[in-house]
Amino acid sequence: MIKLKKYLNASVLMLTILVTGCSDNKAYETAICALADISGTYAKEKESMVNIIKAGIVPTLVPGDNLVLITIDSNSFNEDNIKGKLKLDYRPSEANKQKIQFAKKLDDFANNSSSAKYTDISGAMMLCSGHLKSTQAGTQLMFIFSDMKEELKPGIKRSFNNDEFENIDIAAMNVIKLNEDSSNPQVFRSRIKKWKKRVLKHSAKSWNATLDPTEIANYIDDHR
Amino acid sequence: MSSLYIWPQMPFLSITVLVIASMIFLYLARTPMHQALESLNDGIAGGLERTAEWIKAVVIKMREKNKKVLLESNIAASEDKIAQEFKRVEASYTKHLADYPALHLKLDECITSIDADYKECGQVVPEAPGWNDAVESIASIKGTASGDRVIEKMLKELHKSAVDGEKMALSEMQKISTKRHKILSSLAPVWKKIQKTMVEVNKRVELVLETSGKIENYMTEYDKIRNGGDDSIDMLSSKATKLFIFSIIVITVASFGAFVNFQLIALPMSELVPAGTRVLGMHVSDISALVIVTLEIVLGIFLMEALAVTNIFPQIASLTLGKRRILLYAAILGLFFLASVEAALAVLREHIATTNAATTQALAGDVATSSDAGGSNITVIGQATLGFILPWILAMVAVPLEMLIESSQHVLSKLLILIVLLVGYLVGIIGHILSTIMKTIIHIYDAYIIIPTQIENLIKRKA
Repeated sequence: MIKLKKYLNASVLMLTILVTGCSDNKAYETAICALADISGTYAKEKESMVNIIKAGIVPTLVPGDNLVLITIDSNSFNEDNIKGKLKLDYRPSEANKQKIQFAKKLDDFANNSSSAKYTDISGAMMLCSGHLKSTQAGTQLMFIFSDMKEELKPGIKRSFNNDEFENIDIAAMNVIKLNEDSSNPQVFRSRIKKWKKRVLKHSAKSWNATLDPTEIANYIDDHR
Repeated sequence: MSSLYIWPQMPFLSITVLVIASMIFLYLARTPMHQALESLNDGIAGGLERTAEWIKAVVIKMREKNKKVLLESNIAASEDKIAQEFKRVEASYTKHLADYPALHLKLDECITSIDADYKECGQVVPEAPGWNDAVESIASIKGTASGDRVIEKMLKELHKSAVDGEKMALSEMQKISTKRHKILSSLAPVWKKIQKTMVEVNKRVELVLETSGKIENYMTEYDKIRNGGDDSIDMLSSKATKLFIFSIIVITVASFGAFVNFQLIALPMSELVPAGTRVLGMHVSDISALVIVTLEIVLGIFLMEALAVTNIFPQIASLTLGKRRILLYAAILGLFFLASVEAALAVLREHIATTNAATTQALAGDVATSSDAGGSNITVIGQATLGFILPWILAMVAVPLEMLIESSQHVLSKLLILIVLLVGYLVGIIGHILSTIMKTIIHIYDAYIIIPTQIENLIKRKA
């Protein structure tokens, strides 16, 4: 009887360890949001944007990761701005098929010639942060493909919450310099500085505006 | 500092008065202060020294226990070895001397045959007829002329008979000699047969002696261990340490093999096992791969137990031969199954890796080139072979594992004893240092109150 009790206690203990040890995968997943600017000044960069996403971001995704593509236009805080969603299956064979299908969606997006008059970067960022938080992934990354020059449509108001970008690492990619930036580099620098200050003030984990497209894979691996 | 001055404007005087006052106070309080400092010394340093002594006593007890355990385990192992050797000798006797009676019978028959032939050879040669006496008596007859002619005729007849008799005897002797030579020449194959049989018997007996020769060495070793002398303890200790080191090396190498094995099957397992959840931070597919690798090791342990190479589970050792055979076949079958599964997983892994590479290339915009099929086939064959062979190699890890378990108790006890001894020495050293510091403080105290003390001594001497 005593032996039976001992075995029972040991089994209960092991079961407890197993159950408490079982954890949701979400903490180990990565959710990536790519914001693609299609406004006038940046519209011609669509193809290079899509190439960077296809060659730099999609291959680094592992089974279980999320990727969403959101466009930056005149009013970005809109579900219609989500142009593509990808949640990789845990089976490698299925994951590869999903990657190929998503690449086709990206190609279709690149071939689409739509553009916008205004640039609502903040709205896209807010939409993106909401989506990233909903995934509850352990690693949340936001890549902004834009010249970072925001021009809000009259009537549009954008203000971030204090914890808007909590647990999110933000990187501005392929930031092209506008004409006034070339004439006076300080204009460009101060614009980037303002964005950095703004996102960090609203709880962003990190900000990077100098990330080379060839270093995306390392950036994602470092933040996993 | 200035706040301590009695007369701030006269610091030197203030300090002098303070020193004198403190000297007088400390002089008056010297007995209780000495007692206080000595009590502190006894308490801290004494306590530490007693702790060090206690630790040394514990170390002695641990050494004794370790020695006892080492001796007991080696005595048991020695007894097992001798019992096994006796079994082997018994088997050897049964095997090599089973047909000794037949050989003995053969020898007997050959010797009987030789004996009979030898007796036959020993027949007496027929003698020539004994005419000598008759001739002598006839020759001694006193004869006359006519009588001489009769004697001469008789003698001539006798001579003729003797010659005939001699011829007959010679012929008879030749016949008998021929027969004897024939018999003797037929003895040669029998001698050779006897020689061959004796060689066979000699070989069998040598084998048996060789097998039983080891027992003597084991018995000598057993006696030495039972006596438990320092030499034998040292010998057993160094043997256990050597076994421990070698088994650690082998198990470390086997661990690398297990790691390679795990890496080979972890990726394809995610195709077979849903990896949606984690347990203790690991994917379920990774855990499944780990389970397969550990199962191979477990099957290897059972295989070695069934073959009587290891002796980890006494229940298996006490099974009958038939049941051990069943266990052996089950273990081999299980290993074969797992090895086949691993080979298949290795092929799947290659397929997944190729697909991943092709996908990355397609995403990068490169046209996937049909890479040389030969190279791909070599990789696939190589991985499949590795996946099939590794489980069998991992199965052998049961042997060093048993050695590690057996030797680790003694080695870890030795290490623990060393650590405890080191702690004991450190505590003793700290106690000694603290004691010295306390004594130094007492001396410094006495040095500080030297003036009033000397005044007291002077007064006492005058009194």
